[in-house]
Amino acid sequence: MRPILLSGHERALTQVKYNSDGDIIFSVSKDHVVCAWFSHNGERLGTYHGHQGALWTVDVDPTSTLLATGGADNTMRLWDVKSGKLLKTWDFLTSIKRVEFSSDGRQILGVTEKRSGQLGTIVVYEINPDPEGEQTDEQSLRIVCEDAKATVAGFSYQSQFIIAGHEDGTVSQFDAKTGELLYSTQVHEADMQITDLQWAPDRTYFITSSKDKTAKIVATETLEVLKSYSTDTPLNSAAIAPVKDYVILGGGQAAMDVTTTSARQGKFEARFYHKIFMEEIGRVRGHFGPLNYVAVHPQGTGYCSGGEDGYVRVHHFDKPYFDFMYEVEREQASANL
Amino acid sequence: MSRAAGRTDWAEEEDDDSVQQLPPTQIVKNKDGTETIITYSIREDGKKVKMARRIKKTTVKHTVNPRVAERKQWPKFGLEKGRAPGPHSDTTSVGENIVFRPVANWKASTQEDKDQEAKKKLGNVNAKIKCRICSGDHFTTKCPFKDTMAPEGDPTPADMGSDTPEAAGGLGAGSSSYVPPHLRGRAGAGEKMGGKFERDELATLRVTNVSELAEEQDLRDMFSRFGHVTRVFLAKDRETGRAKGFAFVSYADRTDAAMACEKMDGHGFHHLILRVEFAAKKA
Repeated sequence: MRPILLSGHERALTQVKYNSDGDIIFSVSKDHVVCAWFSHNGERLGTYHGHQGALWTVDVDPTSTLLATGGADNTMRLWDVKSGKLLKTWDFLTSIKRVEFSSDGRQILGVTEKRSGQLGTIVVYEINPDPEGEQTDEQSLRIVCEDAKATVAGFSYQSQFIIAGHEDGTVSQFDAKTGELLYSTQVHEADMQITDLQWAPDRTYFITSSKDKTAKIVATETLEVLKSYSTDTPLNSAAIAPVKDYVILGGGQAAMDVTTTSARQGKFEARFYHKIFMEEIGRVRGHFGPLNYVAVHPQGTGYCSGGEDGYVRVHHFDKPYFDFMYEVEREQASANL
Repeated sequence: MSRAAGRTDWAEEEDDDSVQQLPPTQIVKNKDGTETIITYSIREDGKKVKMARRIKKTTVKHTVNPRVAERKQWPKFGLEKGRAPGPHSDTTSVGENIVFRPVANWKASTQEDKDQEAKKKLGNVNAKIKCRICSGDHFTTKCPFKDTMAPEGDPTPADMGSDTPEAAGGLGAGSSSYVPPHLRGRAGAGEKMGGKFERDELATLRVTNVSELAEEQDLRDMFSRFGHVTRVFLAKDRETGRAKGFAFVSYADRTDAAMACEKMDGHGFHHLILRVEFAAKKA
């Protein structure tokens, strides 16, 4: 496995995303620029300019025509993927920590930061899928998080729920039509921020990662914790791999502690766990800073990670990745033949 | 590839004057289905270069998602606007190969490594410091008998086997377990190149009062009259490169050395009279 190193950013990466076909990777970093890359060879397709502050988040719609970003300049922006043109800017009072399209691409949500007397909110806009068309200024929904701010959020299957992860380690479920809080539960340790929430392909369950050094798979409908993966380092990101039953976790020593630890101790490795058996099966090293985000190719052929070191590393899996099976899995496979 | 060779690129138009002096590109179709492309170009240093490339064209069919295929044709934008297709080295590079092989109990296997490491560390701590001179538990340099006793197991305190004979008197390979090659039994060792390690101290002569202008070869020529000289060492000043005034000459045979000692002692060489004696006293 020879990783491709993408060095188009000058500062720490904050999020990387594959589009739904897996041929393009979008990356955002603290240097104000969004980059689009071809995943198969690492060629840069283009850059999107306009943001005035660090970028925290990026998402692409299912048809790869619209790109949404959010950042510390208190704006959420919509771009034409093909041309790099800025289509729409939504202004807020605080920075945008997370944007995500619904699975049909008709809605977008943004998570705003809690700061300067403003409470953290989750806002939802209807999206006009035509890149030439007019985009609305009107929020179709606004959820205010009164106790603990939301750090991550996403739409469930059929845009039925909005699931949010909070800074106090809780996960809550909102009705995506009314914004009503349906259910909330403590998934991670109290006061340990949830750093990432990524969906399974069918969005019936998701994985959360937290500073409490664990990642958990949670059912969308009941918010029941199905699986738990514990590690020895604070986690920044977790992804569910399709095709094989693996999850990929990324993390490492917090950026502020990095200079006091060696690369080995810093634990800047992508960790692979078996999704079902919850056992670690391997690690991929390479970054020399903590991994801020890991994203898996939607067809499960590779993954990429964005690190505090300013690099995106794109990996295409080798044969051993696909061949590996536990003994029981092997038996099961041969019994089915 | 052929496009670049044919100089149709607009960026190359400036060079047209020089290009025109070159023969045109030739493409020859070979019988076995390959093509030979012969191109001429002028290198940076002004030399004309003829390059012949033989290529074979094979058609590999891939079925790709039409959406993906369409996106591959998209023009670049932003910072990449107008740049040639393909990855560029300023933004994209390939990392070193990483072996990723999932294993069932990964944690356990690395734990073992850690245990071994810990054991190693313990071993280092427990390793005793042993003096080579008196076997006490202190460093050799700290030994109270350093000046009065030779290191243990060292047969000849004034070991001439060292490469720096000036300092040879004080030094010695002191480990008891290590047997130097020249002591590992004599059979066959004589044929070794130069015989450097098979030197018999008793066949080494010390030559003093050597002229500053002397060269090793001069000494070798003079002394090889008496027998096979295995080594000539002429001490030289490291900075000026001039001889320091003494040398060592080793013979394969002791009787030759004795003869040379007798004949060469008092021999005139350059403007000085050599003084020749046995380097090591007879045991």
